[in-house]
Amino acid sequence: MEIEVLQDRLAKALNAVSRVAASTKAGLPILSNVLLRAEDNQLTLTATNMEIATVQYVNAKAKKNGTITVPAKLLAEFVSNLPKENVLLSAKDEKLVISAGKYKSTINGILADDFPELPKINEEEAATFKINVDIFKEAVNEVIIAASNDTTRPALTGVFFNTFNNSLFIAATDGYRLADRKFVEKVQSEIKVIVPTNALQEVIRSISDNVEEIEVLITDSQIRFRMGEIEITSKLIDASFPDYRQLIPKDCTNIIELDKAELIRMTKVAALFARDSGGSVVCEAKKDEGIFSISAVASELGENTSAMGANISEDGKVVLNSRYLLDALNATVEGKIIFGLSGKLAPVIIKNAKNNDYMHIIMPLKS
Amino acid sequence: MPNEWQTVLDEIKNNVSEMAYEAYFARFKFVSNEGGILTSSVPNVFIKTQIDGKYHNTVLDALKVAKYDFRDFKVIIDGNDKPTVKPPKEILPNERIAPTFTPPRAISTPKRLQIDSNGLNPKFRLSNYVVGSNNDLAVSAAHAVIENPGMRYNPYFLYGGPGLGKTHLIQAIGNEILERNPNMNVLYVTIEQFYHEFVEAMRKKLDGFAEKYRKVDVLIIDDFQFIAGKEKSQDEFFHTFNELQQHDKQIIVGSDRLPAQIATIDERLASRLMMGVPIDIQMPDFETRCAILKSKAELISAEIDDKTVEFIAENVRSNIRDLEGKLNQILALSELRGVPTYELIDDSYITQSSTPTRRKTISVKQLIDKVAKYYNLSPKELLGTSRVKNIKTARQISMYLMKEELGLSTVEIGRELSKDHTTIMHGIKVVKNNLKTDFNLREQITDLRQKIYTS
Repeated sequence: MEIEVLQDRLAKALNAVSRVAASTKAGLPILSNVLLRAEDNQLTLTATNMEIATVQYVNAKAKKNGTITVPAKLLAEFVSNLPKENVLLSAKDEKLVISAGKYKSTINGILADDFPELPKINEEEAATFKINVDIFKEAVNEVIIAASNDTTRPALTGVFFNTFNNSLFIAATDGYRLADRKFVEKVQSEIKVIVPTNALQEVIRSISDNVEEIEVLITDSQIRFRMGEIEITSKLIDASFPDYRQLIPKDCTNIIELDKAELIRMTKVAALFARDSGGSVVCEAKKDEGIFSISAVASELGENTSAMGANISEDGKVVLNSRYLLDALNATVEGKIIFGLSGKLAPVIIKNAKNNDYMHIIMPLKS
Repeated sequence: MPNEWQTVLDEIKNNVSEMAYEAYFARFKFVSNEGGILTSSVPNVFIKTQIDGKYHNTVLDALKVAKYDFRDFKVIIDGNDKPTVKPPKEILPNERIAPTFTPPRAISTPKRLQIDSNGLNPKFRLSNYVVGSNNDLAVSAAHAVIENPGMRYNPYFLYGGPGLGKTHLIQAIGNEILERNPNMNVLYVTIEQFYHEFVEAMRKKLDGFAEKYRKVDVLIIDDFQFIAGKEKSQDEFFHTFNELQQHDKQIIVGSDRLPAQIATIDERLASRLMMGVPIDIQMPDFETRCAILKSKAELISAEIDDKTVEFIAENVRSNIRDLEGKLNQILALSELRGVPTYELIDDSYITQSSTPTRRKTISVKQLIDKVAKYYNLSPKELLGTSRVKNIKTARQISMYLMKEELGLSTVEIGRELSKDHTTIMHGIKVVKNNLKTDFNLREQITDLRQKIYTS
């Protein structure tokens, strides 16, 4: 093959591709390579770790079609250091020669025949929808923190894409907290799949500035994200997700509106004194005084209480893990939030004050 | 039908590269064979694509070899198959020979070690370990460890030059403990194996490494000196060490050097290793060497006469491995030429062999030069009359070595050093007495001997 491509485009594509190639766990050497394919006026770069695959298309001038695979990381690092001009990639047998101006190097590769085939998607059978990039990022970040990393329960290590009342929701839980977010409205197909968190993180990392919309294709065994010149395909986690809607409290006895920034500050301060007790902080609402307080006691260090004024309908108290509370607060959008308190042993709900799209539930600690 | 499926897997293994097998077929499973449809499962869609595509024919061929009866073949995805931790690969080949196996003349056939999964070679026993003044302390401590593992001498740190029987002794401890307590979990590894397993576990992100080492009752680590410069392994070993010691598990370490002498070793690790009593093994004396040779010959059922034994014991002073090498060499030659071993003693081939032998090259002057250099003195200082302590000690050590290694009489030594022979007698006596108690001196002399014979 022989193909000419602009350095900055190539460097950007290689950068994203080499992340996937580098994360390979299987010992197969070719998996740490990137597959380069020159075809007409396009250079296609492919990498996979047998769980995720990323394909990048770059506009280029192909003088001779062909394929080769070379170590992704080495190529990415070399190209990123080249000057901004045309880079010529030419492959012969198992060697790739890269030249740009005065720079020239030859990288030993492996023939493309050994590169694993990527799974194909039958686009007609797949469920598809499109989503705005900013909403995608916001929603995924809100949910992904609640996912577990305990591999003995594979279902909880992913994000659950599921349709309910014609809308698509995404949810994640690790058994102690749960995050649920409305993702797309009016979806035609019925979807119930679990997407690995690392695939979603990879999608977020790969989104470039000029992309506005992501196209998502889902089949029963894989999910594909298309955004601009990039396509990321991931396996799905083959397990059943718990019926999480049962876990969401129907209503709360005490709905308190609080300022997010202030609440974060209070939680952080209390967390300092909660280190000995595994992060447990006491959240208390007092109707008569009209205050919401967070406190923590460290038997050796001392203790802390911070409070803020709030409109409270009933007295209430709950013990939470400060880390979970902070994660939940950090994930919500700026401004006012709703703190839904029902009692000592009932889960706490955290929501945006403005809309009901996002909901974060934290199980209380037994005090 | 697990057996037939194993045939399929073996067949595939024969036809694809090992890494491709690991990547694609490690979790390839049989599901069912009903109504002419044979169903198998893989963990995800990426792997399914490979098996449906590139490896389709490989799999079909393998199924035929295993004599499966089916019309259609199908691969499904089963993600519920949780990733399991694979047991660490056996580093040494698992070749077994019956323990009673004794070749008629085992000399020229390469010996294969019999290794159990605990890493111990059952041949190494205390009963075939020759005890002499050089190692009696180590052996009696070993007995204490065997009686009450984890109680006394923990860690049992054994050090001494190469080929002096460290490995034999620490493996023998493991074997004896196992014999008394068959339920105990005994593990023998070299630091090299520990390091490789550790790196492998890190690289492939396998769990189970720490567990493997932390659940043993007796951990035997050999060639400990090679830990130098492997910081991560040192850390890991340190934690393993703490964990085991806290639970009164026995730790046994064999090393060329004392912990403090290993370059770049972490201080906290070094100090912990010194907690038990570090015990050294020295080069055996003449009588012990003879006993070792006889015991070795007996082990391979070779016949050897006393004259030959004495000849070898007299000539090989570097270490036991060389001693064994020389023995094997003489036995091989005797078999080859069909002559009794004692006739070979004067054979030029034997005496000129590569094994460092005694009194071959070294002269009095060379010895003096070496000792002087070792102690950073000039030969003139060494031979002078200075009463400065370190010079005096070095001078006495050269007297001792001249007597021991060059076989000179006190009168001859006196002539060489221009001293009275009673002075020489006194000097040698001082060194001999100090040798009994002074570990440093013992090491210096071992070092010097090495230098004398290896030049």
